[in-house]
Amino acid sequence: MGVTILHQFPMLENRTGPQTIEFLTKRIVALGAVQMGQFLVDCDSYISMPSLGPQRTVHVLHNSEQPASVFSILETNTKTIPLVADGLFDLLMLKMTPIYTKKVAKIESKGPRFELADFCIKLGSVTISQNFKGVLVEVEYRPCVVPSNCVGLMREFLQGFLGSCVQSLPACLQNKMDEVYQPMDTIQQYLDHFLNFRKMAGYSG
Amino acid sequence: MENLYAALTSVKVLRCSVGQIFNSLANGIRADHGEEGRDTKFLSEIEELLNAVTHHLRDVEQAVNNLSQPPGPLTLGNTNFLSQECTQERQALYSQLVLSYKWTDKIHEYSNHAAALLSQNSLKRSYMNPGSAKRRRTQTSSHNVSPQAVDTVISAIDRQFNDMTMSISRPFATNAVLQVSLGRVLQAVIAFKGLMIEWVVVKGYGEAFDLWTDSRHKVFRKITENSHAAMLHFYSPTLPELAVRSFMTWFHSYITLFSEPCKKCGSHLHCALPPTWRDLRTLEPFHEECKL
Repeated sequence: MGVTILHQFPMLENRTGPQTIEFLTKRIVALGAVQMGQFLVDCDSYISMPSLGPQRTVHVLHNSEQPASVFSILETNTKTIPLVADGLFDLLMLKMTPIYTKKVAKIESKGPRFELADFCIKLGSVTISQNFKGVLVEVEYRPCVVPSNCVGLMREFLQGFLGSCVQSLPACLQNKMDEVYQPMDTIQQYLDHFLNFRKMAGYSG
Repeated sequence: MENLYAALTSVKVLRCSVGQIFNSLANGIRADHGEEGRDTKFLSEIEELLNAVTHHLRDVEQAVNNLSQPPGPLTLGNTNFLSQECTQERQALYSQLVLSYKWTDKIHEYSNHAAALLSQNSLKRSYMNPGSAKRRRTQTSSHNVSPQAVDTVISAIDRQFNDMTMSISRPFATNAVLQVSLGRVLQAVIAFKGLMIEWVVVKGYGEAFDLWTDSRHKVFRKITENSHAAMLHFYSPTLPELAVRSFMTWFHSYITLFSEPCKKCGSHLHCALPPTWRDLRTLEPFHEECKL
């Protein structure tokens, strides 16, 4: 697992989602990347019953890069608790329906996955219940595990094919620059972007 | 052999003269036979030619008589089978022969170049080196070092660098295998023979320490290659300790592998790789393509 940066690619007025993906695919293939399959990251959110005290939200995410794991992030008013579990966690959530009533529509990002030398690039189109919302570009540099080491390198690579829209690093990476990067950090970045998309679409949660 | 050549030449001469007869017969009476008695002239010319043919035929018979029976059947190898296929087009021999000729030519040229280069650089590091007696003695000294001496040298180097941790294991009798972790950037396994560095494998942080498999990342495979070049560059039979120390100092400069841009082009990436080469003297980072 190498350092990963997730970046939202701004949509132009006259371009649809598939057109944007195709446009980025052309650029990345011109750099010499090879398509290696597809990827999918999805997120379900469950909200606790109001009668059980202060509201809590559980986000359950799956990443096709770690197919045997289920990631969950529990949000309370004061803190967020991340948890990595195996596939059985999904079944456990089904049993929890009396406490956590599912309320929010599923949001997912999926699309082609490319490899270029040691980089892994994923062009995901984000959909909330089949409605297209935007484009998320994920770039992973697999040899490097400490974000502070490869910030400059990643920025150069991102600017190389996304253009000058790449400015700063994701907020959730800023305070763990010197720690070893974990798959959970990728999930956290996806969740941050997903919540933004939901907010824009007017969903609560 | 002489006889055979003589026989072949006489056959050739005979064929020539027969060809001549048919030629003049086909032409018939020509202008240079003149007006008078041209028939007799023509006949006498034919007769002359026929005489030549009989003469040459006699030559051939004589030459054939001189030939001796070859001892035993001729062994022609695979070319025997050529007689099975009689149309030349279907054998496609010519193009293949040209191709193989070109290959041999190329191999010859390349091996010449390689031999010239290798004779200039003395990279031979094994006991097989047929050098002078003196040279051989100094070489033995870098191979036969007591394990304690190796340990002291390595622990001295270990103390020199804070962010590089080393551990020694001896899976192969007395020869040390050194595992190096360079910060959280990379790891390496270095196999020693006495105090001589024999093999280096560079891997990523978190990959398995083992001497036989390559890293799964392209960057580290490239650095493995470059480390081999450096290990040969720093090798010195007379000062083995210095060789190891300089190699380690050079290797330590990879701590900035991902963070320092190339000195020449000023950017981090070239062909999607960071600067994987470190200058042997100044330790400055360069891309593979920028170092020249």
